[in-house]
Amino acid sequence: MRDDRLDAKREAATLAEPAREARALAERLGLSPYPVRYWVVDHDEMNELIAYEGFQRRYPHWRWGMNYERQRKSDRHGLGKAFEIVNNDDPAHAFLQESNTTADQKAVITHVEAHADFFANNRWFGLYASRGEDGPNAAARLARNGDRIAAIMARPDVDRDDVERLIDAVCALSDTIDQHRPVDAARTRSDPADGTEVATDESLATLRERIDELDLSESVRRDVFDDEWLDAQEPDGDVDEPRPDVLAYLRDHGKRYDPGDGKAVDREPWETTVIDAIREEAYYFAGQKMTKVMNEGWATYWESIMMGGEGFAGPDEFLTYADHMARVLESPGLNPYKLGFELWTHIERLTARRDVVDRLLRVEGITPESFHSRVDLEAVTESLAPHPAIAGAGPATLDTLADLAGANDPRVDAEAVDRALSVRSGDLDPEAGPDIERYPWKLLTFEGLAERHYVLSRPEHRRALEAVSRATLRERARYLFDVDRYSTVEAALADVDRTAPWRRLFEVRESHNDVTFIDEYLTDEFVREGNYFTYEYSQAGEEFRVASVDAADVKRKLLLRFTNFGKPTIVVLDGNFENRGELLLGHRYNGVALDEAQAKATLERVFALWGRPVHLATIRTEYSEEAVRRARRRGREPEGREVGVRFTYDGKESTEHELAKDIAARIAAETVDYDTKPDE
Amino acid sequence: MRITRDRKRFDEIGEKRREDLAEFISHGDLGGSGPDRIRIPVKLVDLPEFVYDRRDAGGVGQSQQGQPQPGQPVDPRPDEGDPGEGGGEHEYYEMDPEEFAAELDDELGLELEPKGKRVTEEVEGEFTDVARAGPRGTLDVDEFFKRGLKRHLATDFDGEYVREGLFVADADVDEVFAWARERRIPVSRAWIADAAAELEAETGRPVSAHDRWESFEELDREVEMEPTHVRIGRDGLDSVPFRREDERFRHPEVVERRERNVVVINVRDASGSMREAKRELVERVFTPMDWYLTGKYDEAAFRYVVHDADAWEVDREEFFGVQSGGGTRISSAYELVAEILEEYPFAEWNRYVLAAGDSENSGNDTTNSVIPLMESIEANLHAYVETQPGGSGPSARHADEVERALGDADNVAVARVGGPEDVTDAIYEILSTEDGADRPRNPSEVSS
Repeated sequence: MRDDRLDAKREAATLAEPAREARALAERLGLSPYPVRYWVVDHDEMNELIAYEGFQRRYPHWRWGMNYERQRKSDRHGLGKAFEIVNNDDPAHAFLQESNTTADQKAVITHVEAHADFFANNRWFGLYASRGEDGPNAAARLARNGDRIAAIMARPDVDRDDVERLIDAVCALSDTIDQHRPVDAARTRSDPADGTEVATDESLATLRERIDELDLSESVRRDVFDDEWLDAQEPDGDVDEPRPDVLAYLRDHGKRYDPGDGKAVDREPWETTVIDAIREEAYYFAGQKMTKVMNEGWATYWESIMMGGEGFAGPDEFLTYADHMARVLESPGLNPYKLGFELWTHIERLTARRDVVDRLLRVEGITPESFHSRVDLEAVTESLAPHPAIAGAGPATLDTLADLAGANDPRVDAEAVDRALSVRSGDLDPEAGPDIERYPWKLLTFEGLAERHYVLSRPEHRRALEAVSRATLRERARYLFDVDRYSTVEAALADVDRTAPWRRLFEVRESHNDVTFIDEYLTDEFVREGNYFTYEYSQAGEEFRVASVDAADVKRKLLLRFTNFGKPTIVVLDGNFENRGELLLGHRYNGVALDEAQAKATLERVFALWGRPVHLATIRTEYSEEAVRRARRRGREPEGREVGVRFTYDGKESTEHELAKDIAARIAAETVDYDTKPDE
Repeated sequence: MRITRDRKRFDEIGEKRREDLAEFISHGDLGGSGPDRIRIPVKLVDLPEFVYDRRDAGGVGQSQQGQPQPGQPVDPRPDEGDPGEGGGEHEYYEMDPEEFAAELDDELGLELEPKGKRVTEEVEGEFTDVARAGPRGTLDVDEFFKRGLKRHLATDFDGEYVREGLFVADADVDEVFAWARERRIPVSRAWIADAAAELEAETGRPVSAHDRWESFEELDREVEMEPTHVRIGRDGLDSVPFRREDERFRHPEVVERRERNVVVINVRDASGSMREAKRELVERVFTPMDWYLTGKYDEAAFRYVVHDADAWEVDREEFFGVQSGGGTRISSAYELVAEILEEYPFAEWNRYVLAAGDSENSGNDTTNSVIPLMESIEANLHAYVETQPGGSGPSARHADEVERALGDADNVAVARVGGPEDVTDAIYEILSTEDGADRPRNPSEVSS
């Protein structure tokens, strides 16, 4: 950053306090984020960061240039106004645009704090981030990869274009990894230094280098780490089970095609370095891609609690903030912010309702059948409202809060109340006390804040209890024991745990990814209220048509979009296809065909990493002209025929072959069916 | 900045992968370009990946107006995703007309060298030119002295050496003069005669009586002539002869810059027979030529004339679309062209008259009117582009007749375009024909 960036510095100075207070609030709300370092950047720097996917230093590649041009273009059309960019690291780095309004900056900071919490606690992020003491260290790793690859490009014996082609090839395959396992899982081997079993993403070539570093005498080296030993370290190329980490397989067993010799030759060490580096980065981004809906929804949810609920935006800033929020949530189409936000809110409401319903069903004489008649749900909702002093915490309620603190009420931060009282009585310099005018939440604990923001007390969810159906009640009652525990409704309600919803959110945030999240929590209500629908391509009409508005169908289609990054699953089936050392990849067919033009082009990139002919087995649906004609006449969809195909690329041309039956059987559809066309 | 490096690389790749120019001209979408920016679609630059077939995958949409009905057609938008994640938009490589012209030269092997016509500037350059007359103040003293010195050196000779010639036995003044001249000594006979008289007066004996040397050969053998620079080096210069004719006066250079300017008149038949397909072919031929000429010339003016039985002028926007009902009389267009070109004197403007149509013309209009008009309108180029998808009918004779009558003229080109595949050939045919341009030719062509 330049020294003359006065605007940025001034902006940064005004943001120091909001950043500090947002962190304190986030922690009080139960979040445990990574530390966040905030940077104020100008518009161009922001575009550049977006182009580099949130990092300042990446390896040299034309793709970043392309991203930048696109970003600038969408900028010009007023589309991509970037408010913030944050990367998943410990500490996380967040970049705020200098030109944002103060309200925007505050919103962004609260949003970022929640992201940082998600990074730190979600297990799918943990796959990359859990690396012992070093932590994720992502920015440093990516920067190091950048330097390494730049250094390789600068080597006189290496052709820059060759490096670029290699990067292109690996990037084209960066989603064909095993994102459900840690980056190093593809290989473990014993460390030559101490013999311990360590996970290592090092190649055989770097292993040799490490042995050299041990500085052993030649005789010892020959004795201990002879070629036989080294060969044994080379992971087995036989494929018993299909391998989803195609990149790791190519790294370990692939060669390079030498056009001079016309055959596959061993790679240079630098080539393996490049492949390793980019594959490792793919694992970094995988966590993000797998949790996009959850993570954006999470950030949006906590942003709304902090900004709206806790008045983190001053009254004068609130409108700007509300407008910003509306724009984020109302942008059309399948919006991950909105989808995620609604699902999180749904989980929160569901948990609260379940807690209340379960307790009410334990009141003597209340059964699923008598529930709606015996319980005055309006009164219940009324009595669940937060304590007035909790809801209205601040200077006006300080005395009441002090009384509660005196009674050891867990909802009140007794020490903060005490200090606030000292300030009021003039015993403490106001500078030293909590600013309860601006930050009234400082008087409350996690329990207090949970009550203050209890979902069933929020105006938009007050009717949630009334909406509960008899079927749901019966379902809950079936698993209840200890019924008739409470003699009165009041006694039951006194036991309601207002922290339960948030605790549940934290659990879900730890273990789920987008697929499981949507699968488990997307409800019929959500689909219906959002007017979501599925669409399919009509072969007869040669256009896309609305196929279904059924919630189950919509969910299935959504899952297709989120499973495996919304991409087809490609696995290694055979590394010695037809005993010729050729590679056979398989598309695990789930009823949705590949984009063949792209698949063929990608296969050419696979060849660059294998060095010998490569094959891809897939299945496609063919429609005969006759069938289409007949279907069109009858106004229906034609019957297609599923045919196995093998695409081959041998370094010169792409060819297409019939697929052997046994291979077709290995890739054929599992039980999932993503077709949502109505049955005729 | 790093991004500069990566953007540069992206540009390079874009350039490499942009649509082949000939392909673009023949089949590409010309509509995305303006007169100043030509947008060449870039082939998919982004990396390929394994993805689902878009049709087979279908998708999820959200209706803005209530619940939609199954069966209702939808137009799925490309994924919105994050702002900034560009969808399947086209990428373009943008070039200006200069680059376009250079690329087309490369691609088609054109060698059009535009010539400057209109004098636009007379610049007073630096005082680098010299003249024989001028104010005293601009006298080039160095030059004056140098010329004087040169003159002095040219007339200087070794007097002692020549005098020695008079001592050769039996040599008279004439013989000494002949000897000196043989040795390229710049001496006059009068000088020798004076020297001889002097010698006679000194010694009291006639010149022929001196016989220090038996012959001139002996003199040559015994005495060395002293070169001028040695003598000047020893004795110095006593005087340099200054003369009026050696005076040089410095004065500024006059630079005459001629602007390479061009007026292009696009003429199109808009009669009933010129249907969509033909009109599109005209656009495909004319538009790249407009870009090309814009890129080649410093200034380019474009005028657009359409005609049926009558001709009228239109804007560029209308030009390719106009269709009228009437008959065809091509000469009406040339009459209008002649009128328009009066604004652009041929002495000051390069002129291109590019006409296109389906070769249909009424009666003997071509022979009786058009050809004489074409001959009378001075232009670097008269082109006629016949657009006849599927070949011309028997009544379409305009192109043939023009070709027969003027085919040998240096400034007439006739091209026939049956489909997009002929477009680049037609452009080549037209742009490689031009009268009076200083086109470099291959040596073999010159000798043939």
